[in-house]
Amino acid sequence: MNKDMNEFLRKLCEKYGVPCGKIFPKDSRWAVELPSGECAALLPHRVERRFVELKKLVDTATLEEVSTLRFANFQAGGPLKELLARELDLAAFLAESPIVSLFATGDAATVCNTIVRFQDGKSGCLECGTALPESQKSMDRHELIARRGVASDRAVDTQVPQDSIYLWTGNGNETYTDTDLELYGLPDEELTAVRAAFALLKQPALAAEWNRAAETADKLSALALRSAETSSFFSGKEIC
Amino acid sequence: MKPLKIAMMGMTHGHTRKYYQTLLENQKLDWVAACAEDEEAKKVYELYQTGVPCYLDPNEMLAEHPEIEAIVLASANNRHFEQMKFCAERGIHILSMKIPTFDMEEYDKMIDLVDAAGVVCQIELEMHYNPVVRRLREIIEGGRLGKLKSIQATNITLSPVWAFPWQGSPEASYGKRIPLQDGSGRFRGGALCDHPHIFDLVRWITGADFQEVYAQTAPNLRPELQVEDMVLATGKMTDGTAFLFDPSWSRLEERLKVPGPGWEVFPKRMEVNLTITGEKGMLQCDCFGPNVYHNGAPNDRYTVQYTYFDEWIGLIDEFVDCIRNQKTPKINLRWHRKTIDFMNKCYDSIAAQAPVRIE
Repeated sequence: MNKDMNEFLRKLCEKYGVPCGKIFPKDSRWAVELPSGECAALLPHRVERRFVELKKLVDTATLEEVSTLRFANFQAGGPLKELLARELDLAAFLAESPIVSLFATGDAATVCNTIVRFQDGKSGCLECGTALPESQKSMDRHELIARRGVASDRAVDTQVPQDSIYLWTGNGNETYTDTDLELYGLPDEELTAVRAAFALLKQPALAAEWNRAAETADKLSALALRSAETSSFFSGKEIC
Repeated sequence: MKPLKIAMMGMTHGHTRKYYQTLLENQKLDWVAACAEDEEAKKVYELYQTGVPCYLDPNEMLAEHPEIEAIVLASANNRHFEQMKFCAERGIHILSMKIPTFDMEEYDKMIDLVDAAGVVCQIELEMHYNPVVRRLREIIEGGRLGKLKSIQATNITLSPVWAFPWQGSPEASYGKRIPLQDGSGRFRGGALCDHPHIFDLVRWITGADFQEVYAQTAPNLRPELQVEDMVLATGKMTDGTAFLFDPSWSRLEERLKVPGPGWEVFPKRMEVNLTITGEKGMLQCDCFGPNVYHNGAPNDRYTVQYTYFDEWIGLIDEFVDCIRNQKTPKINLRWHRKTIDFMNKCYDSIAAQAPVRIE
């Protein structure tokens, strides 16, 4: 764990007059200890700006009557279960409805394709994989399809994520995407974890909700992998 | 640190609303009052329900809030001198919009006023607080591109004139009515006046000054405007770096009175992109991308939903730091003078239909 994370968190809390806490690694994700002593799982994707904006498009009725969520996330290595848990929670968060059934295919080791149903009837799919060659940046896409409007974190007519800066030199090609001047210098994953901790510290009432959501996501993720291994469809009590 | 008691004045500038969230959330600030230019500006301000009282008379505002230490001058360009004088004479620190004035005599009087009063006067050039620009500068200062040879930059937007009519008025925007060329029915004061950022950025990135420029306008996309909406400028810096700028209002808009969803016709209403070539390589940069995209309400058009737009946080942080710790802002009146002077030279080139050398 980068010790700078807690230093950045301290500075943010001081700047905005929020009582500070401490980030620490717990199981497969980050957690934060709140001033009350309570610990909460961090769900950084819930405060990641592109997802905040997607949710805003739903909440402000820019999109009307969302029907389907199409997500994809491919990474270079790492546990597939964690990747799935993140995407499953993000799906439920953006759908604003819990997942009530799922069916998955894949080798359950490096790939898993999951179709889910949300309680309010929406449908969703998650294409997840960890087989990208080492050192490749993640490739993901999150699309909300509604009766009025489609929203996505990827631009039309592009297959891969875009960056803010493309640099071509004799040493090869590099890309950069910096999104947060207050936390400038932190790697993306740690930056969003600090933002998530800050969100919880600002609004400690979220802690219980996030802990429940993390537990649910872990359970769904395990079920998705089991579904892929056994061709089983899960719904009802098995999920809830 | 004691929170800075801050106010806003004018409330007619296109950037006015961008301050609200920062002024309300930043613990270093206590936003105590606003003073609108007129009833119409006050009505628009009240739509945002900030909870901060709004006055129409600056003297009344100060009488009610004598604790005010600093004021954001969110007003038309031709109001800045009077408002700056008002603040300086009262020892109030100033955050000015991006164009203090195009009248260089008036500009020098502003410097004298601020110096005499000993107040902080920061100019709002928000690109200095953009994280992509910070990375860009690190790459260049780290020598990874080698000596720079050329910079192309866009600062292209929709036209704000329908929501902020002063930006279509030669007098309010440029300060006086000067035809673009002899006999022209168009006047200085349009897109060029709205887009100083890339002119400032190239000085910042190269550390050099402007040496020469050739600029020209195109037929307006909006023929009814009295001011230019399409303009290009190319030239050289004193270190030999060539540049080509597009500071146009080249993205069409819905003619909304109050900016809001559905303002843009072209999907991306504002872009600052740079292409930089150096002796060791090349770089392309989008200061406001990538984003989130949709084609939902209100117009069902493909639209960029700006996702990272936090420049005002860093800008205000610096302003407070300068006041509390007696520092000079990076973008102060003296630094910015050469940029403004150069923008005038662009107009001179347009008028002469010939390159202009900067002495």
